[in-house]
Amino acid sequence: MRNPFNPRICGVRVSMLFHLYERRLRSHLAQELLAGSGIAVAVALVFGVLVANTSLTSSAGALIQQVIGSARVQLTARSAAGFDQRLASTVERLPGVSASAAVLRENVSVAGPHGVKAVQMLGVTPGIVNLGSLDTYNFGTGGFRFSGGLILPALVASAIGAKPGSRVTVLAAGRAHRVRIGAVLSDSLFGALTSSPVAIALLGVAQRLAGLPGRVTQVLVQPRPGADRALTQDLRRIAGGRLDVAPTGDELRLLDQAIEPNSQSTELFSAISVMVGFLLALNAMLLTMPERRRFVADLRMQGYDRRQVLLLLSFQALALGVVASLIGVALGDALSSVFFHRVPTYLSAAFPIGAKQIVHPKTVLAAFGCGVIATVLASLTPAFDLREGRAVDAVFRESGGMGEIISGRATRTLGLAGLASIALVTVLVLITPDLTIVGGVALALTTLLLIPAMFAGIARALPWMGDHIRSSALVVAVSELRATSMRAVALAGIVGLAVYGSIAIGGARGDLIRGIDRATTQYFGTADIWVGTGHDIFNVNQFASGRMVGAIARAPGVASVRSYQGGLLDVGTRRLWIRARPARDPEMVEASQLLHGDLARATQMLRQSGWAAVSSGFASERHLHLGDTFSLPTPSGAATFRTAAIMTNSGWPPGTITINNRDYSRYWQTADPSALEVSLRPGVNIAAGRRAVTAALGSRQGLSVRTSGERDRQSEESARQGLETLAEISTLLLIAAGLAVASALSAAVWQRRARLASLKIQGYDSSQLWRALLLESAITVGVGCVIGGVVGVYGHALAGRWLTLATGFPAPFSIAPAQVALTLTLITVVALAVIAIPGFAASRVPARAGFQD
Amino acid sequence: MSTPNAALELREVVKHYAGGGAETVRAVDGISLTVSPGEFVAMYGPSGSGKTTLLLLAAALIAPEAGRVLFDGRDVSHLSEREGARYRLRDVGFVFQSFHLMPNTSALDNATIKLTAEGLRLSEARRRARPWLERLGLGARAEHTPERLSMGERQRVAIARALVNEPRLLLADEPTGNLDSRRSHETLELLRDICHESAIPGLLVTHDPDARELMDCAYTLRDGHLAGSLQTGDPATVLS
Repeated sequence: MRNPFNPRICGVRVSMLFHLYERRLRSHLAQELLAGSGIAVAVALVFGVLVANTSLTSSAGALIQQVIGSARVQLTARSAAGFDQRLASTVERLPGVSASAAVLRENVSVAGPHGVKAVQMLGVTPGIVNLGSLDTYNFGTGGFRFSGGLILPALVASAIGAKPGSRVTVLAAGRAHRVRIGAVLSDSLFGALTSSPVAIALLGVAQRLAGLPGRVTQVLVQPRPGADRALTQDLRRIAGGRLDVAPTGDELRLLDQAIEPNSQSTELFSAISVMVGFLLALNAMLLTMPERRRFVADLRMQGYDRRQVLLLLSFQALALGVVASLIGVALGDALSSVFFHRVPTYLSAAFPIGAKQIVHPKTVLAAFGCGVIATVLASLTPAFDLREGRAVDAVFRESGGMGEIISGRATRTLGLAGLASIALVTVLVLITPDLTIVGGVALALTTLLLIPAMFAGIARALPWMGDHIRSSALVVAVSELRATSMRAVALAGIVGLAVYGSIAIGGARGDLIRGIDRATTQYFGTADIWVGTGHDIFNVNQFASGRMVGAIARAPGVASVRSYQGGLLDVGTRRLWIRARPARDPEMVEASQLLHGDLARATQMLRQSGWAAVSSGFASERHLHLGDTFSLPTPSGAATFRTAAIMTNSGWPPGTITINNRDYSRYWQTADPSALEVSLRPGVNIAAGRRAVTAALGSRQGLSVRTSGERDRQSEESARQGLETLAEISTLLLIAAGLAVASALSAAVWQRRARLASLKIQGYDSSQLWRALLLESAITVGVGCVIGGVVGVYGHALAGRWLTLATGFPAPFSIAPAQVALTLTLITVVALAVIAIPGFAASRVPARAGFQD
Repeated sequence: MSTPNAALELREVVKHYAGGGAETVRAVDGISLTVSPGEFVAMYGPSGSGKTTLLLLAAALIAPEAGRVLFDGRDVSHLSEREGARYRLRDVGFVFQSFHLMPNTSALDNATIKLTAEGLRLSEARRRARPWLERLGLGARAEHTPERLSMGERQRVAIARALVNEPRLLLADEPTGNLDSRRSHETLELLRDICHESAIPGLLVTHDPDARELMDCAYTLRDGHLAGSLQTGDPATVLS
């Protein structure tokens, strides 16, 4: 009789599938838990990395979307000084405009009782809600009717200890202002803004705080239906070549470009994590293989046909994969919220990036799918027993495990494929450096391909080793490795991939940090003391200097004071860092960052008008060579420069343009500095000089006085913090790999108790067996370390080349042998330390176990 | 160099195990038995009768609660782990029903496993193991892994492994359990011949009724006691 709730699939009732799996769980709970935890760890790793990779752009996107609302076009200023607010009224009156809103954006610091936080202040008019911007459930037009206050997101408020109604200090444009907190906005009220480093104020308040009365930096426009093109033309006419007219989504594209190198590195890690995850799942399933095969044989002997057995295998794998992957996603979610949620300081200084962890359904699906697919694929190995012509009960009569041994032919083929892969990657990357990330993934695969060959080499070297080293442990260890070569390769593969990723990415990260450190040291080395607006790591926030320069120049011990200017300028898809140095600076560019050109000549040119040193990414995009001219969109219109030198990007991914401050003042129409460089007289103590400069500033609180060393350290810290996610993923990958290998080895050792017992019966004692187990583990981990290390160093070299050539980062290649050795030692010691205890217990197996086969 | 002509003696040996609940399993309950040099003795009995326990006692893998296990006049019933291992390594050759061969490892290297445990260099161990494989008809298959050998060949590799160190005592646990009758016969004949030639005692635990005709002596074990012994006769009688 048909039961619609309990249909038959291949003749097996669905209830029977559940019943058999329940039986399996009862009888093999430990193995199932082990396999499940391996899969869950793998999925967690993949999920955590994927979320880390997407959260930056997603949170920035959510924030930008929340600010722009339904606006599709924007008129934006080319400098922080903005443009006349009256232009916003002109725009509002254009026939194609449905709604518009003026915004002033200014980088400021907010200081409360618990600390200081750098934020982007958004000055808005109540009319912005007409665009659906800052859209909330009950934050309509009336919500802005607070007087003189500042709205802070919960994240910022809690960081500085601000409460509604309390007063905080806003450090803006070199001045300090006491401002009342109008409201603190929670997640339910403000969405993505809640975790973003922003502060919102009425436009008038923001203008007063920023020292920009009557100025705005942006007008958001929602065109009437069908009026987009005409409106854009009207806006261009109003802009008059001095302002930018662009779609409102442009900022996200600029951010994408800025974080591209970081994203690509994280993508490489994601790919490695997926591979590690698959191997973990495969390995976890391999551990349960012997009894799964017996289960298959039992079913066949009881009359189940092949299709039914396959159905049962697939169902059980699916059940395990689904449950373990769900747990893995939850674990990964926790992992990413603990480790990967910080916003790099250098990015938040240029973009309004939120710290919100954003999880897309496709990210969940990808990690979940990886776990389930890996489980199902790995669990299909017992299906080898279903081959035509194979005896139903063959598993009960064979020695060694089907699918546990890799044939010599397969080993050779894989090894050759690995070598071919290295050659191919080399050619590919030499011809097209942009494909380095693809090459990096291919190299990760190469690590796996080469491991069987190395094991085979060790097995082949056994006679030689056996003749030179009298060690029964060595013979047993190598024999055991040969006996379970698939499992050994999977375990060594996990180690190899983790070491590869850690060394390749970690090495490149180290190069980058060294390169940026060197760049910042030279960048700040042009003065003894820097006066700026606090948290402004790029020296782009301008302030009115007034009589300040004269006061500092008269301070005791001061030799000279120079006005440094700078800003961020959107050009195409790049938010460029414009650095305008005083012509009297001892160095106009950082010598260590020069890629093309002569330092002395470039310095001389830059001191004259019309010359610029450009970063390599920008130069290659514009096909610029030394002496070539190019134009930049400036607040006064297009400005033409000639290329004096081609540099690295000095750590700012979109690139840098270095000019002299006279040109900057002319084209940006401002004499306000964004920093003051102070040189002290020879022999003057730096601390004394700093005190003298601080005293010269008097009661002015909005500026900070720091030595070049302090500025240097601030920037270096920012660079390190920006690359922290990579370091965290790298460390987590190593820890996960070490623990996964240790637990898998422990389980594998435990499964082998019968064979160990038989060795005891042959006359081996426990200490010999323990040594053999440790040696076997050490060889497994060692093979992974060696292959992963060698391929990793090569990957590091390629990554360094890519950073320099394709992204323009300063990344002088150098192997850090101490770091490599430390990584390898750490993973080996962790794995061996964890395996030592179960190994010791297994070596004490009672000999009786040898009779319980 | 080992000295032959040693006997295995069990004197009033008792070994009990805790069963489920308060029950005690009397695996070996006061057995006395002597296996003389050159004698090949079979031990019959139903499952759970204590046959394997007897082998474990003889191999010094477990200690008796009472009585003594003597080999060559030496009490091996209470050896330390290290002494027990040394005894099994130097004096005992053990053949299993399920072979316990290292997968993906050549027959030759499987046969050397005891020699390398003694500290021999691998080449020397191989040199000493090869003649045994040849004698067992595996000369041409020495480099083959167990996966490529028949069940009978695997059992012969296991026998070679047990014999390479020229043991003074041969213990075998159902060595023909996985073999067909022809291979079983050959294997038992081989083990008996080795005991005779080397003048070493051999103790075999088996269910195989056909083994009887090749044995010098056969005992029946029931509930931990020696229920009877036969020098000759019909194995069916022995088993009954």
